[in-house]
Amino acid sequence: MSASRDWTVYDRPELRAGFATTPGGGGSGGGGSDCEVMLALDGMHCAACAGRATQQLAGQATDIHVNVAAKTARFRFDPKTTRLSALLLALDAAGLDPRILAAESSAKRDQQARRIAFARIGVATICAMQVMMLAWPSYLVADIDAGISQLLRGSQLVLSIPGVLWAGWPIFANAGRAIRSRQLDMDVPVALALFAACAASTVRVLLGSGDLYFDTATMFVWFLTVGRYLEGRSRARASERLRLLAGRRALTAQRRINGPNENQIETIAIGALAVGDEAVVAPGETLPADGVLLEHAAELDEALLSGESRPQLRQPGQTVLAGTLNLGSAPLLLKVERLGASTVLAQITQLLDHAQTGKPKLQQLADRIAGHFIAAVLVLAAIAAALALYRGTGGDQAFAIALAVLVASCPCALSLAVPVALAAATSRLARSGVLVANTGALQSLATIDRVLFDKTGTLTDNRMQRVRVLPLAGGDAEALTAIAATLERGSRHPIASAFADVVTPLQAEALKQVAGPGAGAGISGRIAGQDYWLGALDAAPHPVSLPASFASTVGDTVIVLSDDTRPLALLVIGTRLRTEAAAVVAELQRRGLHLELLSGDAKDAVQAVAQALGIGDCRARQTPAAKLARLQALQADGHRVLAVGDGLNDAPLLAAADVSACMPQGAALTQAKADLLLLGDSLSLLPLALDVARATQARIRENLCWALGYNLLVLPLAMSGTLAPWLAAAGMSLSSLLVVGNALRLERLPSPSQLQSQFQPLASPR
Amino acid sequence: MPSLYLLIPIGLGVVFVAIGVFLWATASGQFDDLDEQSTQLPDDEP
Repeated sequence: MSASRDWTVYDRPELRAGFATTPGGGGSGGGGSDCEVMLALDGMHCAACAGRATQQLAGQATDIHVNVAAKTARFRFDPKTTRLSALLLALDAAGLDPRILAAESSAKRDQQARRIAFARIGVATICAMQVMMLAWPSYLVADIDAGISQLLRGSQLVLSIPGVLWAGWPIFANAGRAIRSRQLDMDVPVALALFAACAASTVRVLLGSGDLYFDTATMFVWFLTVGRYLEGRSRARASERLRLLAGRRALTAQRRINGPNENQIETIAIGALAVGDEAVVAPGETLPADGVLLEHAAELDEALLSGESRPQLRQPGQTVLAGTLNLGSAPLLLKVERLGASTVLAQITQLLDHAQTGKPKLQQLADRIAGHFIAAVLVLAAIAAALALYRGTGGDQAFAIALAVLVASCPCALSLAVPVALAAATSRLARSGVLVANTGALQSLATIDRVLFDKTGTLTDNRMQRVRVLPLAGGDAEALTAIAATLERGSRHPIASAFADVVTPLQAEALKQVAGPGAGAGISGRIAGQDYWLGALDAAPHPVSLPASFASTVGDTVIVLSDDTRPLALLVIGTRLRTEAAAVVAELQRRGLHLELLSGDAKDAVQAVAQALGIGDCRARQTPAAKLARLQALQADGHRVLAVGDGLNDAPLLAAADVSACMPQGAALTQAKADLLLLGDSLSLLPLALDVARATQARIRENLCWALGYNLLVLPLAMSGTLAPWLAAAGMSLSSLLVVGNALRLERLPSPSQLQSQFQPLASPR
Repeated sequence: MPSLYLLIPIGLGVVFVAIGVFLWATASGQFDDLDEQSTQLPDDEP
């Protein structure tokens, strides 16, 4: 199997830019021509495998980093002397199953930023400790030798330069940017206080008398950098999935050219692939584009796209997605339909990216409040100082009071309260396969009390089967099925999937969707000169009475095939309930939600489903307009409604609901106007999403209460002069840390216990 | 007491050396992945 892989393509210089980075000059003296490459080693499971990987690479590569947990290896090599293909071949032969990961320039940049942030924390820590130690003698001993005292004070000044200026540089830079754009930012009062404290202290060191605030300033910077580091890390974790997805892009493709005599296969860069090409994907390779599977069935790993970790079997004619892995033992063949930015992989990436940059309403509100708060703080600090001077407390005391007010009442915690919690919640959900397309929806989700379910494709499995075909006017059941399949070929309705396995040479013309008189709709078209109609029972152009034997087929959908004069056949399409549906319904009801089932299907079918699941309320034969009316009636009664659908046939319902969730299929991803996308094609993510949303709301409420309460409590204390500046700094920073820590608890929220076995962690890098 | 005139500057120097060592360690990536090394086999080869 491994012998069939052609690694030499990776030796081509023009392809190298796609996956290798050239570390420019940075540090450890490697030659300038070195390339850095990141590999996924899917066959590496233990420390022994890691040792084997290192062994294979040693000698030809340098700077080898093998990470067992992430199943990756990163190393440098010199393309002039080493052939990458030789290294890959050696790894492959060792059973490590190497796969080249696409270059991620942003990951590199993130790493650099993380290092600097970490270095600032370290420097702030060292300096803060030393400055505090040097400041202690003057607090403990009244009569220090004047020369020693001056030396101690000077040393504090020297240590504060890196401890405040360098470690706290982002704060000053942010404040400067905010002032230039005439906006009040959290960093403005902080930077002002730091600057004032340090400037006054420096003057006092030079004068040789007066209290110093270097210990306060360095400690404050330390607290702030730690808080920011934690916040940044939680955001980075939220984008981890994004990086994993980006790493899944295929770099090369194998195109099959159908020659006159024999088929040729050539390896090309991914950019050269075009829609309509036939691409061959070797076992273990990543699919380069979305397309339709040709020739034979294939087993695919779609874990990163859908969260489903079991291999998925796809039949010829079914859609397969870029970024999935060919798990079978034979190469698969696909006809390219979508490339690059229009693939599902790219769309998920785009959605995630979008969700992470959006600012929900509550956060905008918190930011606005914080902005006013800061303005008030600046004014109050000036007033407090003026009052102190007026009362004759002296300049030193007035300065200390102004400093304490500036620091203590900085609403940092207030502005952190919402975004950190939302970032943590989003990353927790993404890990299980729930994409939050709209962060504001997390907050609405926590308050809903009604759930409207669509039946087809939502509570029932998408993969439908033909249970029975009953010819009404004679004729062969198989031929009638072929006609029905031809009519349904282009349709996106879930029913169409029941015909996906039918192979027929028939071609339909003039296909169109027809709205019938009843709830359901139909499709009409012309095949071989004959007009046909296919659709719901009560929308049929020619009335059909169900034979007695059909009474028992509850839970199924019956559709009719007619020509222009009479009904030809009844087709029973079986919609199996999703295996997890009953458990999910019970879980949702346990959380106090009232569930309702709306469906366009016949009453018997809908009632059977409702009964099987324990949903008390169900409405059958609902047109999209009727569903919408029901939703609006509920909303008018003051209910907050979550609509769950398949994202295509119930778009108006989803758009009108307070929150919407759907399990989008393939290409429909970005068209599905839902707030929550359940990627795993599984309802069991719904209770989790609800839990996370409720917990998030609780964390946000706690955070906002704490931050506001703290600020209001501490302000009078600082203004009256009871709060020393160092205490103010500690209080303000601890308050921020508390808020961040409280929010980070969301990331560890467990999945609901009954459904746990059905969740597969997404983040596990393959 | 007069010894402090010497000891404090020396202490200050040590702090700056420590900061320098820390910055070097960070820049060379030693704090990038604290989980990786623990799963590594000891390298016995000379």
